[in-house]
Amino acid sequence: MARSKLPPPVRFRLDGSPTSALPGDTLLQAMSRQERAPLLTRSVRYHRPRGALCGLGQCTGCLVRVNGVPNVRACRYVPTEGDVVSRENAWPSVRWDLFALLDTLFPGHVDTLHGFRRPGFLRPLYHSVIRRLAGYGRLPDRVPAPPHLRESPPDLAEIFDLLLVGAGPVGQGVMDALSRGDVPPRKVIWVGRRRPGDPPVPEGKGAREGEVIHLPPPGADGTFSALVTWASGGTSILRARGVILAVGGYDGSLVFGQNDRPGIMTGDGALASVAPEGTPPFRRALLFGGGERSRELLERWGSRVHAVAAPGKISPALTRAASDLGVSLWPFQLLVAARGRRRVRRAILRDRTRDVGTHLDVDAIILSHRRLPNVPLLFQAGAKMRWDSRGSFYLPEVGPDQTTSVPGLFVVGRVAGEVSPIRIQEGIQRMVRAIPGTEDVPVWDEDLPTSSGEVPVPDEGEDEEVDWRQYYLESLALPLLGKRMVCPCEDVVMEELDEAVHEGFSGMEVVKRVTGTGTGLCQGRYCLPEALLLLSLFEGRPPAELGFITQRPPVWPTPLGDLAQIPPAPSGPPGGG
Amino acid sequence: MAPPVPRRREYEVIIVGAGVLGLYTAHYLSQRMDPGRILILEKGYLSAGASGRNGGGVRQQWETVPTIRLAQESVASYRRFPREFGYNPWFRQGGYLFLALDENEEAILGRTRSVLRREGLPVEWLEPRELGRLVPALSREGIRGGNYLRSDGVIFPFPVLWGLYQDLRRRGVEILLGTEAQEILRSGGHVAGVRLPQGRVDVPTVVNAAGGWSREVSLRAGLTVVNQPSRHEILATEPLKPFLDPMVVTLRRGLYFSQSMRGEIIGGLTLSEPAGGDHGMPSSSRFLGEMARELVRYLPALTSVRVLRAWAGFYDDTPDGLPVMGEDPRLAGFIQANGFGGHGFMLAPAAGRRVAQIALGEPTDLAPGVFSPDRFQTGGPPPVREGLQLG
Repeated sequence: MARSKLPPPVRFRLDGSPTSALPGDTLLQAMSRQERAPLLTRSVRYHRPRGALCGLGQCTGCLVRVNGVPNVRACRYVPTEGDVVSRENAWPSVRWDLFALLDTLFPGHVDTLHGFRRPGFLRPLYHSVIRRLAGYGRLPDRVPAPPHLRESPPDLAEIFDLLLVGAGPVGQGVMDALSRGDVPPRKVIWVGRRRPGDPPVPEGKGAREGEVIHLPPPGADGTFSALVTWASGGTSILRARGVILAVGGYDGSLVFGQNDRPGIMTGDGALASVAPEGTPPFRRALLFGGGERSRELLERWGSRVHAVAAPGKISPALTRAASDLGVSLWPFQLLVAARGRRRVRRAILRDRTRDVGTHLDVDAIILSHRRLPNVPLLFQAGAKMRWDSRGSFYLPEVGPDQTTSVPGLFVVGRVAGEVSPIRIQEGIQRMVRAIPGTEDVPVWDEDLPTSSGEVPVPDEGEDEEVDWRQYYLESLALPLLGKRMVCPCEDVVMEELDEAVHEGFSGMEVVKRVTGTGTGLCQGRYCLPEALLLLSLFEGRPPAELGFITQRPPVWPTPLGDLAQIPPAPSGPPGGG
Repeated sequence: MAPPVPRRREYEVIIVGAGVLGLYTAHYLSQRMDPGRILILEKGYLSAGASGRNGGGVRQQWETVPTIRLAQESVASYRRFPREFGYNPWFRQGGYLFLALDENEEAILGRTRSVLRREGLPVEWLEPRELGRLVPALSREGIRGGNYLRSDGVIFPFPVLWGLYQDLRRRGVEILLGTEAQEILRSGGHVAGVRLPQGRVDVPTVVNAAGGWSREVSLRAGLTVVNQPSRHEILATEPLKPFLDPMVVTLRRGLYFSQSMRGEIIGGLTLSEPAGGDHGMPSSSRFLGEMARELVRYLPALTSVRVLRAWAGFYDDTPDGLPVMGEDPRLAGFIQANGFGGHGFMLAPAAGRRVAQIALGEPTDLAPGVFSPDRFQTGGPPPVREGLQLG
């Protein structure tokens, strides 16, 4: 009798019931093995059902309580034996949540800006009820060990020549180029955050797994001081004379009716839901996007993809791949709405060239229509940004050697607006030669990972250009089919942006404060790109005139316990006021 | 985009700064004069300054009686706000808790209690055990007790600005956003006009309600003042279900934290560093560290709770910790309404009413000398000093 040599499963409790995960699975992957489009939590205002959207630890779709700690990301948490996991923000259960009545009672939206004012004697009651509806989870009932008891942050007091941020293929390519013998040796520290599908951050003296959460402009001496949290726990301030950002991009969101149903996820989210050997949480997915990203995902899950739809043309390569698999193709479509009570069961499309609608019965909608550059650190560092009409979002102004407007700050890859592997590679070569070397560098390069020959830059290719403002203009003319969530973190619907403009408010900074868009846990990554386009339509002026919200630190939400490790200022007396 | 052009060539009053004080001042002025002859200038966008960057605390616990009275009136105003202005700022009266960490602070709070009680405010002294009942998550280690006044509270600042702004626009008050007062023009010893990027407008009365930029505006009228801007930082965590009712404050380091209606823990403290002269508003890594240590000390359960964002804003400080309200004795028609030292939002409704009276040349009920701009020019010590000016 053949018995598998698999290690024993990890047993834990989910909402009181015993369940298990394969070792190494994230909570999301474990649950995705067991059900389609797992329902993980309920939203803040309307208690709408939610599942994982982004898969990158940014959105609020997969927040669960683990061992008494709220708001743990199921997409990043790997369960351990005996864990107690519960799904929050619902009563009596996340599946049957009485508060979800609010969603039905308020088919438009709850107006907390003007509402709940009268009668005066009811105000304390309003306060108490509305306050209880807010908040993602209950206060932790357990105080975790202070980070310094887990592991002390590395002592990195020295000033590095270069800080390289980004552990994806482009970061790897930069590291390879820096490690070759024909460029001056430099003392490099490489900080990266692993994402599903990325190669691990290589072991080596210069490489560490962590995230840069604050990158202010360089000080008077031209030195950057980046605030970093480490995957192992703890926080450090790194100092470097130069910074290379190879932080890549991510799959953006899209505003349509019921766009927050479990089963609707970005390409990143779909990838994160599936363990390396696992099965995806869908059998009939709709891929929305006509370019390379969709092709990549189709190749991965061909038999589980039911259809490919796109806002414009569908690329020849994607068309070939789909025809081989017998997957139907729907070019020039508006994604109008999703249907389904607790998870997506149907997608409603409308042809942009003819006035014809289509219903597709699907169990997932995977958004792979546009990849957005990861720009928050660039805004923080004070780099001059420009509106990129091709990508309908902001990009840095990039000089010939991958320079930005901030001396010493370099960008490469997607975040510099470049997707062609050849041109990325050329940019890397020019950049590493342009960065001045320093005398008297201790030999660090010997420990740096090297690879000869091919640099693994993803072959993303260049996609057909889509005018997203025009896309939304057409989709606004359609009848409302369920709430269109601009900001799922804070449950802000599209109409609230429109109303703010009608009331006479303008500009992204003010509309953010009026509506709450962009103030949630994702730090605006999934709402601002769409909100800018919509606001530009409502205000009737180009998106570039709307401004952008200040990218405040930390760019990744960071536990207070980790921040408490930031060393007090090296000079001067401690504060006293 | 070209800046909007002023509707008129001459106005009766120009208010510099569309923060909460400028807007409240305009609100009271517009009830007494032709609203079309009032112009508000705002260099940035609405909510760009401290009025859009504060923690929303509204308290009546002060040491000086004139301030206490302004604060009491302001609390009453904010209670009426939803009815009057059509916006809901969710003013939640969950109380203010001043913690005493040593004997000296306990004595200060004891003195404050007797002043406040004389003013009719039922402030209570809570022993550590009682603190535990009020805020179960609070670590009581090293805390001797605290002053608690239930009618203090926390407001959501933005809707206050929106409500005032819309109300003023409806009444016909002109508000130019993105428009800087480049120079206050004078003729003899009197205000004569203001130079804007769009050109000159004539006006006999200018109210300097520019908050952290008030020093700059005074300089543009040729006046040096004692006001000094100082940069302060604040942070917000991920939203949690309600567990913290009062705003908690300590006397040292200007530490404060509370839980907003949306569930975020919002708090700040004072770092001992002066503001940069360029009014840059960068957040600092150092603040994140210092504030995180304090929050984890007082609310240990927050150790695993994440910080979403930190931001900075400017206080406008004066040497005696009291604001400046009155006509500048060196320039007729130039009304100072600034120096609130990080407490402008909580005093603005009452202060705006007095500033409007001053601008109209009417007598006010402000105690003579306490808030007047000339108190720093006489050379002697200021008549009163506010000790609960935190930060």
